[in-house]
Amino acid sequence: MISVKHLCKSYNGAPVLRNVSAEIGRGEIISIIGPSGTGKSTFLRCLNLLEHPDAGEILVGHTNLLDPGTDVPELRMKMGMVFQQFNLFPHMTVLENIMLAPCTLRRIPRTKAREKALELLKTVGLLDKAEALPEELSGGQQQRVAIARTLAMEPEIVLFDEPTSALDPTMVNEVLTVIRNLSKTGITMIIVTHEMRFARDVSTRVLYMDEGIVYEEGTPQEIFGSPKRPRTRAFIRRMDMLCFELDKFDFDLYHFRSEVDDFAVRQMMEQKKRNAIQLVLEELIENILFPRMEKTQLEIGISAESGEAEIRALWTGPAENPLNADDEAGQMARMILSKRCSQREFAQEDSRNILTLKLFGETK
Amino acid sequence: MNLSMKKNEDGTVLTVIVDGSIDTVTAPELENRLEGAYAGVKELILDFAGVDYVSSAGLRVIMGADQRMSGTGRLILKNVNEDVREVFEMTGFDELLNIE
Repeated sequence: MISVKHLCKSYNGAPVLRNVSAEIGRGEIISIIGPSGTGKSTFLRCLNLLEHPDAGEILVGHTNLLDPGTDVPELRMKMGMVFQQFNLFPHMTVLENIMLAPCTLRRIPRTKAREKALELLKTVGLLDKAEALPEELSGGQQQRVAIARTLAMEPEIVLFDEPTSALDPTMVNEVLTVIRNLSKTGITMIIVTHEMRFARDVSTRVLYMDEGIVYEEGTPQEIFGSPKRPRTRAFIRRMDMLCFELDKFDFDLYHFRSEVDDFAVRQMMEQKKRNAIQLVLEELIENILFPRMEKTQLEIGISAESGEAEIRALWTGPAENPLNADDEAGQMARMILSKRCSQREFAQEDSRNILTLKLFGETK
Repeated sequence: MNLSMKKNEDGTVLTVIVDGSIDTVTAPELENRLEGAYAGVKELILDFAGVDYVSSAGLRVIMGADQRMSGTGRLILKNVNEDVREVFEMTGFDELLNIE
């Protein structure tokens, strides 16, 4: 359906897309992942000519987009785009926002456009907001309206450019659910996203972009489960991890907790597990680590693949497993860790102590 | 964490309604508020309907309150949600406290 060959694009002499080639079939759900600044959004914007490539070829069906005779407005009607910012018209109601393009560009009669808009609002769960103004809606609701607006043009392909990046983490899931439902309708979708768990769950194929090329591609199982190339492996591991340098005298438990919770929400961890990991972290930090040391490095990993969590505390000093201590203050904390964690391991490597706790996995 | 307190007419039953998390940050506040309220109380009821999270710091305060009441009356925990009840269970506190 879409065939991209040797696409190149530079800004002020700096290459962003070096040589991108990809084949996307009808009905495929493609997630594009990768570090920031590696050309993912540029690639997406080239597909509907919001950016004009310097070289290469883009075929949509039999139409060569870069042919000077191509009818670009007609092409954009076939290829809808959902942006990071929702860009709804603030002075129009939700319904008017959705009806605008079908009525003006496709010249669909208002009654028919209204009927379709209401149907789409029902699909995105916002039928009761039809007469509301965008400012009366939350960010997540506005993005759902933006998706409905894109679908109102009945596109064959929908491009999503980081559709949840501008949202408060509490609103990410409602938007992802709408996109997830849409993925079951057979429409072709290309999604640039940082939501790894989502990409794994909905995609038929994942493109990992790095260094201005499609560095590796494969099924979600291949890319997330056993990436072959080094930069893909490093990226997948890093996206699943959150790192902190903790200082006993400069530690804000609530700020820390909120960062962990945002991360866990993005990894699609359910509320009950999020509470459990918060409890383990508070006990570990406040009652096991801080009574013994001023500074600790902490790594929290939540696997997008399995939903398991791993906490690693690293500190320098004499080898002493704090879980084997018998101080009264830490007794309850150790009891909670022993019940909540499926594995607890202590090791010393190169004069660094490493305490590893695992949650929600198999007990060793 | 928010909490409100009310006593019955003769001041022997104190009900403390707690909302939010009882953790390292908020447990000292709960301890301080209880400290000033024990006088004459025979029954201390902690209503936990609004409590969604308790860590060991909170458990220590609850245990302290239970010990404080044990000579002159009793402490009762009410409306403990499932997650919080699990924390009581894993530390064995469910055996030591009156949880209704």
